[in-house]
Amino acid sequence: MQFGQEGDFAWILNIVWVVFFIGYMLYGARLQIWQWLKQIEAGLLEIKRMRNDAKEASIKTFKAYGRSEEDVTRELDRWLDYFTIMPVDLDPAGVLRRLDHLLDERRDRFQEFVAELAPDATSAQQQTLENTLEVSQVLDLIYRVVRHFFILGKKTGSQIIIMQIHMQMPDIMRLAKAYFDAVDAFSEGKPIGDGIGPLVVTKFAREYGGTPETYVHEVSREVGYYPIEVEGRTVYALRATGPGGTVGKPGFAVKKIVDENKGKIARIITVDAALKLEGEDMGRVSEGTGAAIGDPGPEKYAIEQTATDNEIGIEAIVIKEDEAAAVGVMDKKILDSVPHVIERIKASIMKRTKPGDRVILAGIGNTIGIGL
Amino acid sequence: MSIMTKIIGAVTAGAGAVILFYGISNPEIDFLVYFVGLIVMSIGFSLFNAGRTVQERKPPPPTVTEIRCDNPECTFKEIRDFKKGDYILKPVEVPCPKCQGTMTVHGVYMVREEPEQKYAV
Repeated sequence: MQFGQEGDFAWILNIVWVVFFIGYMLYGARLQIWQWLKQIEAGLLEIKRMRNDAKEASIKTFKAYGRSEEDVTRELDRWLDYFTIMPVDLDPAGVLRRLDHLLDERRDRFQEFVAELAPDATSAQQQTLENTLEVSQVLDLIYRVVRHFFILGKKTGSQIIIMQIHMQMPDIMRLAKAYFDAVDAFSEGKPIGDGIGPLVVTKFAREYGGTPETYVHEVSREVGYYPIEVEGRTVYALRATGPGGTVGKPGFAVKKIVDENKGKIARIITVDAALKLEGEDMGRVSEGTGAAIGDPGPEKYAIEQTATDNEIGIEAIVIKEDEAAAVGVMDKKILDSVPHVIERIKASIMKRTKPGDRVILAGIGNTIGIGL
Repeated sequence: MSIMTKIIGAVTAGAGAVILFYGISNPEIDFLVYFVGLIVMSIGFSLFNAGRTVQERKPPPPTVTEIRCDNPECTFKEIRDFKKGDYILKPVEVPCPKCQGTMTVHGVYMVREEPEQKYAV
C-alpha cells in the first residue's frame, strides 16, 4: 500500500480510498440488505404470479359446476385465508382427540363450501375440487407469509428478519413451485405421486380377486377395504375411496378392523409415499418399522396405539419421491415401482405371518385419479 | 428488478474493471487505483446481481394415459394423451383391437426430465 506517496494525483486517490473505506464500513451492511431485499422481492413477485394463476385455475375449475364466475371469485376470495386453530398443548392430555375433532370440523366446512360452490359436481368431483381449493390456499398462505416478512423487514430495517427470509427463499420457492405444478393435477383429476399407497393396495387386491364390487365402503370416513385371501391368510387391503381426491381416515379404519377382529390380526403393513433425500433415486422402495402415514397426528396415533395394545407387528413400506412428484402428476418412475412394492408385501406376508392369520394392508395417500 | 439497475450495475462493474486494468498495467501510478478498481467492480456486481432474473418457465411434460388389455395372454398396450375423466383402473369402453377383450387404464403419468447428476458422491 502506498498511502501518502508523493505524486500528481496521489492526494485525490488517497481521499477516494478513505471515502470508500469509510463508506464500506458504515454502509456495507446496508448495501447487502438492499441486495437481499431485491432478491426477496423478485421471489415474492414470482410467488404472487403463481398464486394468481392458481386462483384463476381454481375459478375456472369451479365455474364448470353450476355457479357464475362472479359468485365463484367472490366466494373463493372469502375462503382463501380460512384457518384452523391448533388445539392447546400446554395440557397434552387428550390433545390428539381434540385435534381430530378440529380436523373433522374443518373437513366438514370444506365439504359444505365446495357443495355450495359446485352444486352440479358429483361426490368424487367435489373431493377433487376440495384438493384444488387447498392448493390455492397453500400458495396464498406462502405468498402472504413471505410478503409479511418482506414488508416487516423493510419497515424495521432489521437485518435478522431480512436475512432469515432471504436464507429460506430457495426452499420456499421450491415448495411454491411444487404446489403450483400440482394445480394442473388437481384441477384435472390426475393421479398424484402421493397416491402410490392406494394404487399399490388396489393392484395387490386385484391380483387376489379384489374388485370394486367386493370393496367394503365406509369403514371409517371415506375409507374401505377389499377382503382378500392370500396364501391362506385373510388380508384387509385398506385404502381411501377414489377416484375422487381424498386421504380419508385410514388410521381409524385400522383401529376399527382390529377392534372387530380382537386378537386375530397378526400384522399391520402400511404403504405410503415418503420424501426422498437429495441424491436418492425417485421411486426407490424402502421398508422399515412403524406406521407410514403423514397425517398431523391422530391417524398415526390410532395405528400405533392399537398395534401396541394388541401386540401386533407393524411395518412400513415407502416409495421415495420429492415434494414436486408427491403433489404433482404421478411420475412414471413412481408408477414403475408398483410391482416391486407388491413383491415386498408378498414377502412380508409369507415370512412374518402364517396361514390362518389376518393381516391389515393399508395404502395411505390421496386417491385422486385412482379408481377402486 | 428493473433493467435500469442491471444496466447501471454492468456499467459500474465495467468501469471498475477499466480502473483495475489501468492500475495493474501502470505500476508507476498509485497502487490505490488497484483497490479503487476492485471496489467499484464489486459495487457494480452487487447492483447487477440484486434481484433474480425470472427464468422462463418450461411447460410441464405432457400427461399420458396408458391402456392395457386385461387378457394376460394379450400384449396390447396403447399410450395416448390424457383426457379429462381418465383415472387409473378405469375400465375402457372400447374392446381390445387385438383380441377383443376388455381393457383398463393402467397408468396416468408424466415422464419428467431428470436433471444431470452433478455430484458424483
